[in-house]
Amino acid sequence: MERKRYKQLRAAVGVFVGAIVAVAVTRDSYLLAAAGVITGMVFMALVRSSVKIRVDEREALIKEKAAQLTYAIFAPTIGIGAFLLLMPSHSGLDVFSRGEFVYLESLGMILAYLALFLIALYAISYHFLSRKYGGGGDEE
Amino acid sequence: MHDLTQEQLAEKMGISRQTVIAIESDKYLPSLGLAFRMAKLFKVKIEEIFTVEGGEDEN
Repeated sequence: MERKRYKQLRAAVGVFVGAIVAVAVTRDSYLLAAAGVITGMVFMALVRSSVKIRVDEREALIKEKAAQLTYAIFAPTIGIGAFLLLMPSHSGLDVFSRGEFVYLESLGMILAYLALFLIALYAISYHFLSRKYGGGGDEE
Repeated sequence: MHDLTQEQLAEKMGISRQTVIAIESDKYLPSLGLAFRMAKLFKVKIEEIFTVEGGEDEN
C-alpha cells in the first residue's frame, strides 16, 4: 500500500513540476523553472527518506537492463557522431578549411568529450561496483 | 497453496504484485534469496516450486 501511495505522490509531484516548468517557459523565467524542479526533487527526497520504499528485485533487474541498453546505444551513437562531425574539418577539403563550418567541429568536440566522460564514468562505476560485490581480488 | 492472493504474497515477500505475476507466468526467475524465502513461507523444498530448464539463467 505504501508503495502505491508513493507512486501516486510521485505522479502528483511530476504533474506539479511539469505545470510549473510550463508556466516558467511561457513567462521566459528560467529561475522559476529551476526552482520548481529543485523543489520537486527536494520534496521527493524527503518523502523517500521518511517512507520505507521496498526495492523490488525484478524492478532492479529492469533498471539494470535499461541502463545497459541505454549505455550500449548512447555511447557508440555519440562516439560515431563526434567522429563524423570532426572528420570534415580535418579532411583538408577547401570548403571546410575556410572556417564556415566551425560550429560542426565545436559540436564534434563536445560530443567527443561527452563520449569520453560517459566511458570514463562507466569504467569508474564498474570498478567500484566490482570491488563492492567482491570481484576485485585475485585470491582463489 | 496457502490461499494467498497475489497482493498478500507480494506483501509477505516484500516484492511487488507484478513480480509475483511474472514469477507465476515464468517470465522472471527470482533470486536465490527470494526463492528460499518463498519455499520457507510455503513450507516446501525450493525445488518443489522452482525448476530451471536447461541450466541457463532465463533472466
